[in-house]
Amino acid sequence: MSLVLRNLQRVVPLRRARLRHDVELLRRIARIEKFDLGLVCVDNRRIQRINSIYRRINMPTDVLSFPFYEASCCDNLTSLTSDLPRDELNLGDIFLGVEYILTQCQESSEDFYSNLTVITLHGICHLLGYKHGSDDKWIEMFQKEKHILSEFNRLTGSRLEPLTTRFSS
Amino acid sequence: MLKSLSRIVSATARISSVSSSSRVLEPLVRSRLCSPGSATIRPFTRSLWMMSKSGPGHRPGLFTTCGRVPPVSCGCGGLHTEGDKAFVEFLSDEIKEEKKIQKNTSLPKLSGGWEIELNGTEAKLSRTVGGEKVSVTFNINNSIPPTFEEEPESGQKAEENEPEIVSTPNFVVEVTKPSSKHSLVFDCHYPEDEAGRGDGEEESDIFAIREVSFQPVGESDWKETSYTLNTDSLDWALYDHMMDFLADRGVDNTFADELVELSTALEHQEYIKFLEDLSSFVKCS
Repeated sequence: MSLVLRNLQRVVPLRRARLRHDVELLRRIARIEKFDLGLVCVDNRRIQRINSIYRRINMPTDVLSFPFYEASCCDNLTSLTSDLPRDELNLGDIFLGVEYILTQCQESSEDFYSNLTVITLHGICHLLGYKHGSDDKWIEMFQKEKHILSEFNRLTGSRLEPLTTRFSS
Repeated sequence: MLKSLSRIVSATARISSVSSSSRVLEPLVRSRLCSPGSATIRPFTRSLWMMSKSGPGHRPGLFTTCGRVPPVSCGCGGLHTEGDKAFVEFLSDEIKEEKKIQKNTSLPKLSGGWEIELNGTEAKLSRTVGGEKVSVTFNINNSIPPTFEEEPESGQKAEENEPEIVSTPNFVVEVTKPSSKHSLVFDCHYPEDEAGRGDGEEESDIFAIREVSFQPVGESDWKETSYTLNTDSLDWALYDHMMDFLADRGVDNTFADELVELSTALEHQEYIKFLEDLSSFVKCS
């Protein structure tokens, strides 16, 4: 199944092939290649608008996830692929606030594409039903991200850390 | 775009030649074979004959105008009717209104050092990037997609919902490396918006590549025997590499947005000029 990438903004020059390559690797490691996934890169104006509509927070942010399935499905989703019809093999959409992410990277002198990868994985985990609202859920999500990024780092030579680290409650 | 245009023209020519020849042949065949009492062709031609005949009891001719023809005053030999006069008055108002809403009388400039050449409705943008020549060609004809006006919301006037006319032309990007016999040609377009989330936000890429081909440098005709890659069923990774390739040469989302502004301004300019030419033609002054 496919990773649909859309770049709706002009503020940040985006290397589409690089982003796709990294996210495809994440999908393979997380064993979700059979699911369609939408990745939409937007600017501050658009992510703020979406944040305001769907979370009542009138500010830009780094990532917003819109799962196709209810949160309770969680990791069981990957084992249901044989039961689901083809047009329901859909994880959902992730909106990346690339302008917001770039600003954060510039302020903290971090690599933009490394951050994009980590933030996209965070979004993927939300699509799979992981949350970080409580300590237990935070630990569960952190472990999931850590597991996937460990394998990603092994394959690519990167040194990426989970985004959930920054959400410690 | 060039290839599809030539295909459309040749297809149209083939269809029109087939249909016109059949229209010519059929009545001749029938008139020989049909009996005098046949109702297939004769009543139509008889009624035409009667309508064109003059004489007592004759009804007004089919091909004479119903309205009175005012005397020709300009000596041009052309027709001047009350309808023409009303037409010219209408055009005068229309031209005034269009000029009022015209955003700029001069065309907007593009960032990135693009040079522009205009040839009627066709525009060509050129620049050089690291020794490579990049050109972008588009035509403003048929570049305005249909818009469907929504029902006005309660308390909102209908005029506030009137959609802005925007020109989103197909455009062809040619990249030519020095001492290369072939250009890499990308046929690009502005996709129709994919289904949004109901918040009015579109979710398509700003522009998309439709076809890619190598074409000989310096030849205006599209070479049909060159392989043309269609992106409809293309590997997404390859597609993204091609988009990055274009972005490195200045054809990115910023360029695509600025091209829309340029095309919209050019289209409006040409539309006003057309109205003025039409007014002069009808008025004959």
